[in-house]
Amino acid sequence: MASWPLTSTNLLCTVVVLVIVAVLTIVLFLFNGLSIPQNTKVPKCRPKHSPIHLLVVLGSGGHTAEMFSMLRRMQLNTSRYSYRTYVVSSGDDFSAAKAIEFEKSLQGEEDVPFPQGVSLPGAPPPLLGGPPPLMDGPPPLMNGPPPLMGGSPPLMGGPPPLMGAPPLQAATPQGVPSQDSPYTIVTIPRARRVHQSFFTAPHSTLQCFWACIRVLCGRYPDQKPLPLSYSPYPDLILTNGPATAVCVIMAAKFLRLFRRYAMKEKKQGNKPTVQDIRLRTIFVESWARVTTLSLSGKLLLPFVDRFLVQWPALEGKAAWWSMRKTEYAGALVD
Amino acid sequence: MKLCFVTVGATASFESLLQSVFNETFLSALKQHGYTHLLVQYGKDGQAICENFTKKNPEGSVARHGIGITGLDFNQAGLGAEMRLAQANAELDQEGGMIISHAGSGTILEAMRLGIPLVVVPNPSLKDNHQKELANELQKQGYVIASNVNEVSEAVSEAEALRSHMLRWPPVRGRNQRQPTLEQVMSDELGFVD
Repeated sequence: MASWPLTSTNLLCTVVVLVIVAVLTIVLFLFNGLSIPQNTKVPKCRPKHSPIHLLVVLGSGGHTAEMFSMLRRMQLNTSRYSYRTYVVSSGDDFSAAKAIEFEKSLQGEEDVPFPQGVSLPGAPPPLLGGPPPLMDGPPPLMNGPPPLMGGSPPLMGGPPPLMGAPPLQAATPQGVPSQDSPYTIVTIPRARRVHQSFFTAPHSTLQCFWACIRVLCGRYPDQKPLPLSYSPYPDLILTNGPATAVCVIMAAKFLRLFRRYAMKEKKQGNKPTVQDIRLRTIFVESWARVTTLSLSGKLLLPFVDRFLVQWPALEGKAAWWSMRKTEYAGALVD
Repeated sequence: MKLCFVTVGATASFESLLQSVFNETFLSALKQHGYTHLLVQYGKDGQAICENFTKKNPEGSVARHGIGITGLDFNQAGLGAEMRLAQANAELDQEGGMIISHAGSGTILEAMRLGIPLVVVPNPSLKDNHQKELANELQKQGYVIASNVNEVSEAVSEAEALRSHMLRWPPVRGRNQRQPTLEQVMSDELGFVD
């Protein structure tokens, strides 16, 4: 009766065909999304002297120290990069303190009036006026607190995530130095804590990714609203490869892909606008990497717009043929 | 005062370096080159080694070779102050000393910035040892001495030799250097109109 009986062989064939089609679609989508934008030049359409929102991803001790070493050496131009967002992972008081220290040094050099100033007269650990973070948890650094893990998976469009664990949430450093200061510090949950089992890692990675998406849209709970002259989307993302950077860069890429495909339908053939050159990403490989790329470097090589290395042996590496190569920039640290 | 500062960092313990520093041969090498003080940052697990040595060889004993020994576990505010004790400073009556350090990039950069001869000793117990390559490369370029835990005594004289022809960090950018600066790369990506 049935001309096409539902045998296990047929079912298997159907599944195989479907999988092949799906894989091909994903590969094409990725190739289109990754390779082409990587090789196209940035359109020159941003008015000179427009204010830039720079996002800097900080990470554990070494990465953070190196990042500020680079920013010091390049003498970050605060009249161009006039708004800065620093992303740190939860429990990393060191990086947040370093960011405040760096911003203070900028302030000192520039003599920019800081209305209320950062309410931190030299006291090291108590960050940003809030209660000292993580004081009641046992070892403050590495193990991080469990605060952001308790809630139900905050996915797509649900209620504001990270509300599941109120007591500690209140104690995380709030990234609000002062309403008028030209920078903010945002604390996001870790993708995977040290010693966390791999079983729960996918869940917390998703959580981290979603937090990154919200940060990049300027809608993360502890993020203060940006001054009106800026788009909530950072213009430029700079990182040197802590684990959090993988999440942030992937989130940026996701938002751009999403935008690219959404835009295509609306206005085709229009001239590029400033809207199209937001969320650009620059990865600087750690100065400590002389002959091999770091793990986050390897992971992010196909996704970032520019990949700088500080030693000649790492020059010219590419994720796939035809993709953008790493560029040797000499030592960038001071 | 002429001081040698030894630092093992905060994160990993590095007992083999401490063993070869709290050691008669090393102290005699220091003495030979006119050192008067040894300051050791031994980290969270190193205190026992330090106390063991200082108890066994109280002040004035032959094994110390007349060198003043001080230890500290770690300084949360950074080790800049400790490092500067090894910097030549006529006002404070300090002769130029040396630093022996684990291969953490932060410590290496700071010592090079201060212009103090540095002996880099990579920690062999760490996995994924890219630290050794960094130390070797920097030695090749004339910034530091790359050594290992068994040769720190010999490294003292190498560090003294390095003092006279040490390069300054950071390297000066040549005017026609073809590599882009970070500022150039960043503004490229922003697509400003010409």
